[in-house]
Amino acid sequence: MPDEIKAHITGVVFQIAAKAGDRVAEGDAVIVLESMKMEIPVEAPRDGAVKEIRVREGQTVQEGDVVAVLE
Amino acid sequence: MGMKDLVDELAARRTRARRMGGEEAIARQHAAGKLTVRERLDLLFDAGTFTEIGVQATHAGIAPDLAGRETPADGVVTGFGRIGGRPASVIAYDFTVMAGSMGRTAEVKCNRAREIAYTKRFPMIWLIDSAGARIQEAIGSKSFAGSGLLFREESIMSGVVPQVAAMMGPGAAGTAYIPALADFVPMVKGTSNMALGGPPLVKAVVGEDITAEELGGSKIHCEISGCGDLEVEDDRACIRAIKDYLSYFPSNNTERPPVVPCDDPADRRDEALLTLVPDSPRRAYDVTKVVRAVIDHGALFELKPGWAKNVVVGLARLGGAPVGIVANQPMVLGGALDVDSADKAARFIMLCDAFGLPLVFFQDVPGFMVGSKVERAGIIRHGAKMLYAVSEATVPKLTVVLRKAYGAGYFVMCGRGYEPDLIVAWPTAEISVMGPEGGTNIVFRREIAAADNPHEERARRVDEFRKLINPYMAAGAALIDDVIDPRETRGVLIRGLDMARTKTLQRPWKKHGVMPV
Repeated sequence: MPDEIKAHITGVVFQIAAKAGDRVAEGDAVIVLESMKMEIPVEAPRDGAVKEIRVREGQTVQEGDVVAVLE
Repeated sequence: MGMKDLVDELAARRTRARRMGGEEAIARQHAAGKLTVRERLDLLFDAGTFTEIGVQATHAGIAPDLAGRETPADGVVTGFGRIGGRPASVIAYDFTVMAGSMGRTAEVKCNRAREIAYTKRFPMIWLIDSAGARIQEAIGSKSFAGSGLLFREESIMSGVVPQVAAMMGPGAAGTAYIPALADFVPMVKGTSNMALGGPPLVKAVVGEDITAEELGGSKIHCEISGCGDLEVEDDRACIRAIKDYLSYFPSNNTERPPVVPCDDPADRRDEALLTLVPDSPRRAYDVTKVVRAVIDHGALFELKPGWAKNVVVGLARLGGAPVGIVANQPMVLGGALDVDSADKAARFIMLCDAFGLPLVFFQDVPGFMVGSKVERAGIIRHGAKMLYAVSEATVPKLTVVLRKAYGAGYFVMCGRGYEPDLIVAWPTAEISVMGPEGGTNIVFRREIAAADNPHEERARRVDEFRKLINPYMAAGAALIDDVIDPRETRGVLIRGLDMARTKTLQRPWKKHGVMPV
């Protein structure tokens, strides 16, 4: 499984749901994007620890951009 | 020889043919986690109803390396029987005989099995476990130039009889078009795969090294390509899925879908419906929970559940009568429609319309996706398929607006302009050309910019906009039939279906339309 977590939709970062060092389980929201008038979570693809969050609230991300990295 | 000897010889021939590819090949089939073709057919048909045709067939005797050998049933078992009491015809490839390759005699048998289903008008089922064409017999234009008619026949009979192609092993090359043209394609995990060109051909032609599983396994087709309808654990689950699927369909397009007795009360009110949809219109929830709370016994037979998950399509019953469900899924992409979900929904609507299954739409859609990516993928063309399919459909159509019904999303999900026989809304519904935020930014752009506090002004305008799109506006103009308590949904739909049962719509004559494929 890849370490990089990528946005699956273009949108604006609405909320950072996890910070570096946090343990996350597969399916947990790491960040929440706002797109199509909806809050859309970007989920951890596997269990692990968050190494790095690469975006900040309010930032626009494109589909495929890396938003966070797991250990 | 007297009759007794002749009969004994017949029995011996039958026994030989039914041994399939022999003990070793059968052991290999089992070791691969697969049932044999005859075990599969025992599970598929009601006990004692299967009649085999062509069991004495063997290869065409034109390939030198087959001289002196028999190919039992020529590698494919064909015949007819009853499934759930109703007739069906089958073509089941036998991988233990020359890898289930399609020989010339086998093709004659398959033509016969299709003829049975197509002229008697009942379902045609393929169990595919085949290496593809038997090259030794297909080589040379004298053989090939006349072949391929099966795909024409399958196309012509599409929408006349249900057609199911179960992938229970490989389906290489041309064989992959059988499932492509079928209505329902379950795929067994780990053992099935399909591709227009198998790995050796891919390596030779484009130089790519890839396994059959990576190229066309069940995960690829049920999650990425959309060519498969359902991933199933093993052969038994696959046969169960075929039987479940067929139970929702009539034998052909002139009959009505089979109604079963229903002990789930028509007026059942599920209290969970009050809390399943979040108060915030921006929050996601799982729409299948809403659907399951409404349909008979919560039993939803989802098609393509792993692909284009922003729309949910599936078969269900309401008051015992089969229906097709189309629901937006806010859990994925916020429920926005995109290229694949439009394809998925359009195809499902056509399937239900072809066989007389009423359609029930559950709307919660923020619209179609926008942006350069989807435009380049042809979202206009793909979205139009959904418009086209829902417009064409003359079966009873019922619409429940759960929450958002924005823009063209409202149209394709059977808004008022698309002939719903009943359209109702929950109190949370917002029927609007666009969402309040987007709408406010466009309509009141100047006012917001000129305000002392643009942020407050925008919030105030959004609130005003929201008042214009609550369901009582549409209901007040009699453009929706009612606003309902979510707990009433099941009863309303069952009564609506009962009312719409005699629906008759005559479209103008045409050869056929020009579908925006």
